[in-house]
Amino acid sequence: MIRSVFLIYGLAVLGAVSFAEYRGWSLNRVDQMLNVPRSIRDNPGSYRSVYGYYHHYTGGK
Amino acid sequence: MSTRGPAPAGAPQVKSLNCPGCGASLTVRSFGNAITVICSSCHSVLDAQDPKLKILQKFRVAANEDPPLIPLGVRGSIRGVVYEVIGFQRRTIHVEDIAYSWHEYVLFNPVKGFRYLTEYDGHWNDVSILRSLPELSAGGASLKYLGETYRHFQKADAATTFVLGEFPWQVRVGETVSVSDYVSPPRVISSEGTGKEVTWSMGEYVGGRDIWKAFKLQGDPPTPIGVYENQPSSLSADVRSVWVLMGVFLILLLSLAVGVYWMESDEQVFEQMFEFNTNAKGEASFVTNVFQLKGRTADVELTTKANVDNNWIYLNFALIDQDTGHAYNFGREISYYHGYDSDGSWTEGSTSNTVTVPSVPAGNYYLRIEPESDSDHGLIRYSVTVNRDVPQASFFGIAVLALLIPAGLITWRSLNFEHLRWAESDYGSAPNDGSLLSTVESITDSFKGSSGDDE
Repeated sequence: MIRSVFLIYGLAVLGAVSFAEYRGWSLNRVDQMLNVPRSIRDNPGSYRSVYGYYHHYTGGK
Repeated sequence: MSTRGPAPAGAPQVKSLNCPGCGASLTVRSFGNAITVICSSCHSVLDAQDPKLKILQKFRVAANEDPPLIPLGVRGSIRGVVYEVIGFQRRTIHVEDIAYSWHEYVLFNPVKGFRYLTEYDGHWNDVSILRSLPELSAGGASLKYLGETYRHFQKADAATTFVLGEFPWQVRVGETVSVSDYVSPPRVISSEGTGKEVTWSMGEYVGGRDIWKAFKLQGDPPTPIGVYENQPSSLSADVRSVWVLMGVFLILLLSLAVGVYWMESDEQVFEQMFEFNTNAKGEASFVTNVFQLKGRTADVELTTKANVDNNWIYLNFALIDQDTGHAYNFGREISYYHGYDSDGSWTEGSTSNTVTVPSVPAGNYYLRIEPESDSDHGLIRYSVTVNRDVPQASFFGIAVLALLIPAGLITWRSLNFEHLRWAESDYGSAPNDGSLLSTVESITDSFKGSSGDDE
């Protein structure tokens, strides 16, 4: 019983890895935005991503 | 030493007699085969071989004495043979002044003879007398029987503390015999005797529900408590095959990784050096030239390297599809600090950073980059490299963990089962028989031992 469950589980893990690699998944978080106007190329300053007000680490030891 | 069991019985004879002690009627179910019979009214042990049923012993019974779980006279089928319960006894051993008792049921079939059931804390064994002697190892740590090795588990002096019904031997309350158990789950071989007379028997673990079904008993059997000496572990057999499967999966995973690294293009589609003047005022953001992402939907890896030195730069990125306006926003900080203090030299951070944007369809893309840093840090140079369809090693690491964790849990549970079993033995822990489990347990015990020594 446990052998069968582990066999199915292991195959599922391999399948998930194959699918993730094929689809190009990543562990990084990325926000997406749709319909960004073409005018950004001419006026990059008009675009503000969600990261624009990120609080930066400026320390060091 | 003897392996003689009771001789096979003749035709069934049930006889009603009267107890010479109290006059109560006695039903003798194995007449001609029983050696002693106990009067359930006055608790006299009677000589069943004597026509006058001579009284051999009288014993006191506690008022709260538990009745047998399987009543005398009940019939049930074991291994296709119908047996009748004709006797019941309780035996008790003392370990470190604590009394442990188990129950034995004498079963009788006129053709097959006697058989026994034992019960301890809800654990049942189907017991029969051995017809040949097992081979004891030097020192008695193990024995061999029919090619199977049994490990010594426990030795104790067991006293008969309660009897009821009929017995094919001269039973007495208070009688003490030396018992030794050798286990090879689900079987146990037991020796019991006094002096030169030793009887060997083999028990096989049986589930309480099977006993209840065989004897058509009402209600539920008592729930087993703890792990019994010859209780089979449902996990032990699986541990080896799970690790074999684990090895197969790791080989498959390695093959998959080789295939993925071979098949995925990891093509560099963009690379450029940039400068950010932290002293400059005004808008810092800009866009790059358009570059093409080809093929199926795949990941995009962006690597940034900057010449920061006790400084930082934060880069707001937007990967934008020129045709659809679909933007992927992310920010990366590159900071690198170093110095020297009372602990010596130290460094913190890195001059490079990599981020992977997941599942980006093919198309024509450009980057919008907006650098930030503290002002008056001068010129920071940085490079941005974009690669398409890059294998992600992290998924393979997660897969190895995902396979190891359940295999480890199954192994731990099995080890725990064996630990609980052997904790009740004379040895406190399982001897190493060279198997995977016992080797792992020995290693674990040695670690425990060495940490205990340190204390």
